[in-house]
Amino acid sequence: MVLIPPYVPEAFLSMYLPAIYAGLIVGFIATMAIALKREEIHILILTDLVGLAMIFVVSAVGTDLAEALILPGLVVELAETLAISEILLTREMRKIEQNPRRNLSVSSSMFPQSFALNMEILNTAPNFLALVLIGYGIFLTGFTGGAVAGGGIVLYALSKKARGLPVLMLDGIAGISGIAWCLWILGFLLFFVAPQYWLLSLFLAACGLLLKVASKVGLIGLLMREDFDKE
Amino acid sequence: MISVQLFFYFGIFLAIVGSIATAWGPGVNDPIVRTFNTEVASIGVCLVLLCYNHVLALLTLLATTVIITLILFRAIIRLEEMGADV
Repeated sequence: MVLIPPYVPEAFLSMYLPAIYAGLIVGFIATMAIALKREEIHILILTDLVGLAMIFVVSAVGTDLAEALILPGLVVELAETLAISEILLTREMRKIEQNPRRNLSVSSSMFPQSFALNMEILNTAPNFLALVLIGYGIFLTGFTGGAVAGGGIVLYALSKKARGLPVLMLDGIAGISGIAWCLWILGFLLFFVAPQYWLLSLFLAACGLLLKVASKVGLIGLLMREDFDKE
Repeated sequence: MISVQLFFYFGIFLAIVGSIATAWGPGVNDPIVRTFNTEVASIGVCLVLLCYNHVLALLTLLATTVIITLILFRAIIRLEEMGADV
């Protein structure tokens, strides 16, 4: 017997079993391919498919609970991919450093042609553009605002004005991330302890999420700028 | 009237075909081809989320797919220029 909560929409009931089976099939294919492959970078790409299978199984629930569970799953998968790719790069670099006949090329480019943007606006007004994007992101709050503000930080990091930020600034961004977690947890706690202050706790959680997402997207931009020479 | 079921089953079909193409498709020994094949399965998942009315999950999936593709391309390019066997 299957227990169905009364607030699940009628239309989603017939879609439950196909979605579960599709998730199982996709997960089976992905794990079989992972078992057959040897190279680590291929395994990292195939891990992406396992994440898609997870989304299938969770989305079959069909209520707001599914949406609330998919969001952290996606963000955790993103952080996991970033961390594992960094580990792969570090290990390969260590292997090359131990080799006496190494040929480590000095610079490379993310783009097929050299990425020299000779646009007037990138020379004169990156500060203004970044400020407008960050201000609009703070006005939006939440996940979307974090993405917009993070785009502003990436633009500032990639433009020519800000070259060679000190290590202290990277540490500062990590500290902001910790403060964001504290705000989020405080808002969550206040929501249960004192429900009459629900607006305050909602805004605490939204601002925490804004800081979190914006700092994470900004860090990715800083990483890419450190790696690839622009000229 | 557009049938929701049609989009739902087409999304499942795209996801399964895309995952088979990522696992054993033509030319997948090149990691860049493999990364592009992942996008087909991702579009299938987007259609399924659209049928379930999960707007926030759909937007987040699009955003994280773009960022994950950037991270994977960066890793592939760095590994290839370092001379690792990818």
